[in-house]
Amino acid sequence: MTSTPPFTKVLVANRGEIAIRIMRACRELGIKTVAVYSAADKDSLHVQFADEAVLLGDAAPKESYLNMDKLVQAALDSKADAIHPGYGFLSENASFALKVESANLKFIGPSADSIRAMGDKAESKIAMKKAGVPTVPGFEGLESEDEFRQAAKEIGYPVLIKASAGGGGKGMRVVNAESELSEAIDSARSEALNSFGDERLLIEKYVANAHHIEFQVFGDQHGNLIHLFERECSVQRRHQKIIEETPSPLLTPKLREQMGQAAVNAAKAVNYYNAGTIEFIFDPVLSSFFFLEMNTRLQVEHPITELVTGIDLVQWQIRIAAGEKFPFTQSDFHQRGHAIECRVYAEDPAHGFMPSTGKLLQFIEPRGPGIRVDSGFTAGSEVTHFYDPLLAKLIVHAEDREAAIQRMQNALKEFIVHGVITNIDFMQAVLKHEDFAQGKVSTKWVELNMESNSLLFDLQVQEQAPALHIHSLIAAALTDVVFAGTKSQPAVSNETDPFSPWKRANNYRVSDQ
Amino acid sequence: MKITFDTQSLEINPSDDGYVAMVDGKKMRIEIVRVDFGQGRMDLRFTDISDSAMIRESVFKSVHVSSDGAKRWVTMDGQTLMLTKTSGAKRGVRHDHAGGLIAPMPGQVRSVSVGVGDAVKKGQTLLTMEAMKMEIRIQALKDGVVKMVYAAQGQTVEREQILIEMED
Repeated sequence: MTSTPPFTKVLVANRGEIAIRIMRACRELGIKTVAVYSAADKDSLHVQFADEAVLLGDAAPKESYLNMDKLVQAALDSKADAIHPGYGFLSENASFALKVESANLKFIGPSADSIRAMGDKAESKIAMKKAGVPTVPGFEGLESEDEFRQAAKEIGYPVLIKASAGGGGKGMRVVNAESELSEAIDSARSEALNSFGDERLLIEKYVANAHHIEFQVFGDQHGNLIHLFERECSVQRRHQKIIEETPSPLLTPKLREQMGQAAVNAAKAVNYYNAGTIEFIFDPVLSSFFFLEMNTRLQVEHPITELVTGIDLVQWQIRIAAGEKFPFTQSDFHQRGHAIECRVYAEDPAHGFMPSTGKLLQFIEPRGPGIRVDSGFTAGSEVTHFYDPLLAKLIVHAEDREAAIQRMQNALKEFIVHGVITNIDFMQAVLKHEDFAQGKVSTKWVELNMESNSLLFDLQVQEQAPALHIHSLIAAALTDVVFAGTKSQPAVSNETDPFSPWKRANNYRVSDQ
Repeated sequence: MKITFDTQSLEINPSDDGYVAMVDGKKMRIEIVRVDFGQGRMDLRFTDISDSAMIRESVFKSVHVSSDGAKRWVTMDGQTLMLTKTSGAKRGVRHDHAGGLIAPMPGQVRSVSVGVGDAVKKGQTLLTMEAMKMEIRIQALKDGVVKMVYAAQGQTVEREQILIEMED
C-alpha cells in the first residue's frame, strides 16, 4: 500500500465480478471508483459497489460496454484520471487504448502498440519467430488453395486452418486429409470474414491431445519484466476455459524455466508492460511447447496466480500504469502451494452447455480456509442473455494439488445457486474423474467425454442416488408447506410486522390444504 | 396431501412431531429442526418408519430450497435438483408447432435471411441469433417453403418462441 494513491479516481469499463474485483483493488489503494453500466445492469452489484456510476446506454454491448466514445466521455465527466478495461469488451482494443491516452487519461494496461502487435495471429507469430520463441510449424500469408495444399503437405496432416484476426475458436478448422482441405478453407474464410471482417487465414500443424498452458508476465514502464509462472487451462468447452490450476501437473522445473524464459522473451519482443499472458500449446507426448497467442490484458483466471505468488496483480496493474517501478525481480517469486479456479457459469452441461437465464432465487457462496469467491451476483440478481454467462469464480488454495482438489470439491458442494441451471455439478464430475487426478485432461477432453456420454453418465448417476432423491422430493414438498405465504424468500428477515409469515418460523405446521 | 413432481408423487401429512411422507413404498417421518427463511434453508431429520425397515436410523440433512411458480429447486449434499410440480396427470407432450423452428434459448435475433414464400434447402441457415456471446444458427430441418417469419432483426426472443414456420 502506497502512502499516496497512484490515481485519484479510476473508471472501470466493465461489469460483473471483474468490475468489483478492480474496484476492491482501487479502494485498498485509496482510489475513488466510477462504475459504468447498461440499462440492463442498473441494479447490478458493480453499480452499487462503486463511489459513483454512469449510465452508458442500452443493454446491447455496442451501445454500452463497447462504446468507446461514451466511456471516454464518462471518464472525463466524472473527472477520473484513468480507465481500467478489465477483460473482454475493449480490453484488447488498441484504438480504445489510444483514445483513452489522447483524452489525457491513463489506460491501465499495455501500450496500444503492444496490443496491436499481438492482436493479429499471423503478425504476432512472425514477430515471435523473430524473437526465437517456439511457434507451431506452419505458414502465414498464403492465399491460393494451391499454396495451402502445398503447405499442408509440407507440414503433414492433420493441420489446423485458422483466421489471422481470430479468437475464441471462430474461423478455425482441423483438417485431417487433403480431401477436406478445400471445404475447410472456404468455410473458415467465410466465418473469419463474418466474425472479424478479415478473411486472412494461416495454416499450421495440428497438435493432438494438446494442453493449454499459459504464463503470466508482468512488467513496468521502466524495462523491468518478469514472469509469474504458469496456469494450466486445459479443461475447456467451446474453446472457453472452465477450470484452471497452477502449478501445472505436467511441468518439470526445467520446462517451467524454459517456458518462463520464452514468455519473457515474447513479451519483451513487443516492448510489453503491465499484466499480460503468453499462451502456449503444450504437447504432452513430446514435452514440447509452442507460442499460441498473447492476451494483452488481465486474465479471468488471474486469482490463482495471485494465490500462489502472493502478489495482488490488479493493484500492481494500477500502480504500474501510474508510472511506478515494479520493485521485484524474478528470484523474488516462488510458487507456494496449489491453486484451482472453477468458473461457475449459468449454463446447462446436459444440453450442450446452453446458457440459462433468469432471476437468481438463491445464491450462497461457500466459505472456509483457502476459499475465495469473485462474483458479481447475489440472490435476486437477474442473469440476462446480453452478456457472458459467468456467475462467479470459485478459487481455492491449499498445500498441494491433492488437497486443493479436495478443497474445491467440498467448496463446490457448498455453492448454492437456484433460479438458473449451472455447471456446478458438472465441475464436480470433472474434478473427481481419474483423468483429472492424473493431469491427463487435454483441451478436447470435455468434448470427447460428453460425446461418449461418460461425463453425462456420471452426472446422472449422482442425480439418481435413490436415497438422496427421496429426501429431495420430500424437501421439495415441504417447501410449499413451510414457506407457504412467503412467495419468494427475501434475503433479509428482520421483519417487524406481527402478521408476517416469518412468524411461522416458530410454528412450522401450516394447515393442511 | 398428495404432491407430484415431474412423474413422481408423494403423500405428505402433518403428524404429532413433524410430518409423515409416503414415497416410493417408503414411510418417512420428518422432523423440521430449523428453518432459515433468508437462506431458504431447512434442517431436517428423516427417519424411515416403513414396516419393512429393520433399523430406524435417522439422517440429519441440511437442505436449501427455492420455489418459482411450479418449479422447486432443491440442494442437498451438494446436488441441485430442479423439480416441477405438476397436477399429477401424465405430462403432455411439449407443444411443438408442426414445422416450426423455435428459439433454443432466450436471446436476440441477429439476422433473418429468408422471407415468406422462399424455398429453402435442408441445412440452410434461416436465422441467426445471439445470446451470451454465442451465435446460434437456426437451420432448415428439411427442404421446404417458408410459411411465416415471426422474428425480426434486433428482436429479443424467449426460449421456445417460434421463429419461423415452414409449409408442411
